[in-house]
Amino acid sequence: MNRISSKIGLVAAALSLHVGGAFADEILVGAEIPLTGSLARVGAGMHEGISVAVDVFNKTNGKHTIKIVTADDESAPAKAIAAVEKLAGDGVVAITGGYGSNNIGPASDAANKLGLPYITSGGVAENLTERGYKTFFRINNTAGYQKAMVGLLETMKVKSASVVYSTKEATADLAKDVEKELAAKGVAVTLHAFDPAITDFKPIINKVRLQDKPEAILMVGYENDYVGILRAAKVLKPKVKAMVGVWSLATPKMASDFPDLMPSVYGTALLPFPAEFQSEEGKRFADTYMKLYNKAPDYLGQFGYVQSMILFEAIARAADAGTLKKGGIAQELARTDRQTLIGRVQFSDKGDNLNFVHRMGQHQDGKIAIVWPADAATAKMNFPGVPW
Amino acid sequence: MSELILQALYSGVLQGGSYALIALGLALVFGTMKVINLAHGELVLLAAYMAYTVESRLGLSPMFAIPVALVLVCITAVLVYFLVSLIRKDRELNSLILTYGIGIILTNAVLLIWSADVRSTSSSWMQDALVFGPFYSMRSEVLFFVVSVALMGGLWWWLSKSWYGRAVRAVSSNRDAAKLMGINPRSTEIVSFIVAGILASFAGVAIFSYGVIQPAFGHVLTVKAFIITVLAGIGSIPGVMVGALLLGIAEALTVTLASSALQELVGMSLFLLVLFVMPNGLFGAAGRRG
Repeated sequence: MNRISSKIGLVAAALSLHVGGAFADEILVGAEIPLTGSLARVGAGMHEGISVAVDVFNKTNGKHTIKIVTADDESAPAKAIAAVEKLAGDGVVAITGGYGSNNIGPASDAANKLGLPYITSGGVAENLTERGYKTFFRINNTAGYQKAMVGLLETMKVKSASVVYSTKEATADLAKDVEKELAAKGVAVTLHAFDPAITDFKPIINKVRLQDKPEAILMVGYENDYVGILRAAKVLKPKVKAMVGVWSLATPKMASDFPDLMPSVYGTALLPFPAEFQSEEGKRFADTYMKLYNKAPDYLGQFGYVQSMILFEAIARAADAGTLKKGGIAQELARTDRQTLIGRVQFSDKGDNLNFVHRMGQHQDGKIAIVWPADAATAKMNFPGVPW
Repeated sequence: MSELILQALYSGVLQGGSYALIALGLALVFGTMKVINLAHGELVLLAAYMAYTVESRLGLSPMFAIPVALVLVCITAVLVYFLVSLIRKDRELNSLILTYGIGIILTNAVLLIWSADVRSTSSSWMQDALVFGPFYSMRSEVLFFVVSVALMGGLWWWLSKSWYGRAVRAVSSNRDAAKLMGINPRSTEIVSFIVAGILASFAGVAIFSYGVIQPAFGHVLTVKAFIITVLAGIGSIPGVMVGALLLGIAEALTVTLASSALQELVGMSLFLLVLFVMPNGLFGAAGRRG
């Protein structure tokens, strides 16, 4: 019942209009996020991180208080624009959130026209930062995921790989960039694009098994795609040494929900699981997360927290300087240079995080071990190793 | 190459059986009432989530969810019918809007109750490989293909041999004439919604057993079922099987011979081509054999 109540609360928050006037010392910040539709799960995960950031910021920053106004973009680009416009009407000073490059693109276009800074971690398509907006910032990018995937394959010393990727913008960008870099390093790569609506991956994996015969299969997609690909591979048993994915794969959720499919599978991961935080901020984040949601944080919450905390700090600095409504937030965001839970964050003049590099995790005995890069590794890589 | 094509054909046939199971209920209601139930995919999804609940809460095989799903989905289907029956004017058009709205409500109900997480069976028996020579599949795919064929045979028998089945066809052909023959169209329509609910229950448990479910998945199922129904020709049960198999095989061959990125495009092109050449569908009124 508690779970249902909390879900009702979440949707109510998504549907809520800004209630009444805010207190004088409260600064309104918009969260445009998919809480329903195909991206509801990842949107809800990011929203948890945003809520944790609000809680932590309001407790640790004595001078300013942040109040979040949430608008559900229903995982649809047109609704994302409407959500941004609604939030602007509610009087927010900036926007955090967004998931899926195809939603973030039009949403941040609308925010830019309205002069609202927009910060995200949910879209890695390259064209997002090529628009040259002074109001757009993101803390992760394709290059960081690419470095991690290519770095892992270099460590494995594989000579051939098949990349199975969704035709969505962000996944296609990443797959092609990985292919280019691997090919330049002498690895034989074959690309297999798939439509996001596909459910049976056996014909693709059979092509990989009988024609490509690679040493590793790279999967660039989302949770439902990974389950389909791994199931098909488990049936067809291609002779590969590793199954390597990207986001949303090396997570505690996947480990607990699909224990038979995950052993030895790789994916990007910021933290091992069970999570271990060394810094004060990390411990505060994990404690607050546990208090609010009664569970350990995952990468979605972590990204949502970092992007929001950076924004809140920029807002506080702009408020102190008296430039809150004179473009000061974007200027303060551009000046950001600090260590965060995902590493050092500094923005380029296009709004991209200059320092973002991901890590690679591997499912091992129901846990997630960081196996790349070597200086961050928490366990030895189980290689060769596949779930079957 | 031959091994690739053989596997593609086999995968396509199994996928076609799955599509047919999803489309049958929609085709039945479309055939009898001329109502396109745009909430049909959500009924299938509801059954799939019942299978998830039975497996995750009780630790039982998804197959044990079928009786529970039958009750819940049939009740929901009857509720949908009662709402549709309240429409007094332009039922064919207005029911589209109504059932679309019901679909949205059901999707959000699923989201509230079961959250947005990706779900699928954890039963290793269901997922284990079944290999016949060059043909590879999961056990659950073969199992539910057999179930699909059996249900289709049962439905065909029911429609052609049983009193209620013939009443459904009579109402479908001419509602007023059926009334004059002593058939109560209202109870006949309720029966067709219940049968659609039964078919949706099996389809939902099948999808959970070999696929992946999410709350937003319902409308994808409805669209696929609608394509097959129109492809088949309104009211034709054998047509649904042929249309579903054609679609499944065309998609699998596209993946094998061209690119998987073109799979959906080829499905839609096939749909448009058939409609262009045979506007009544493969087994539509002009040449119906089923």
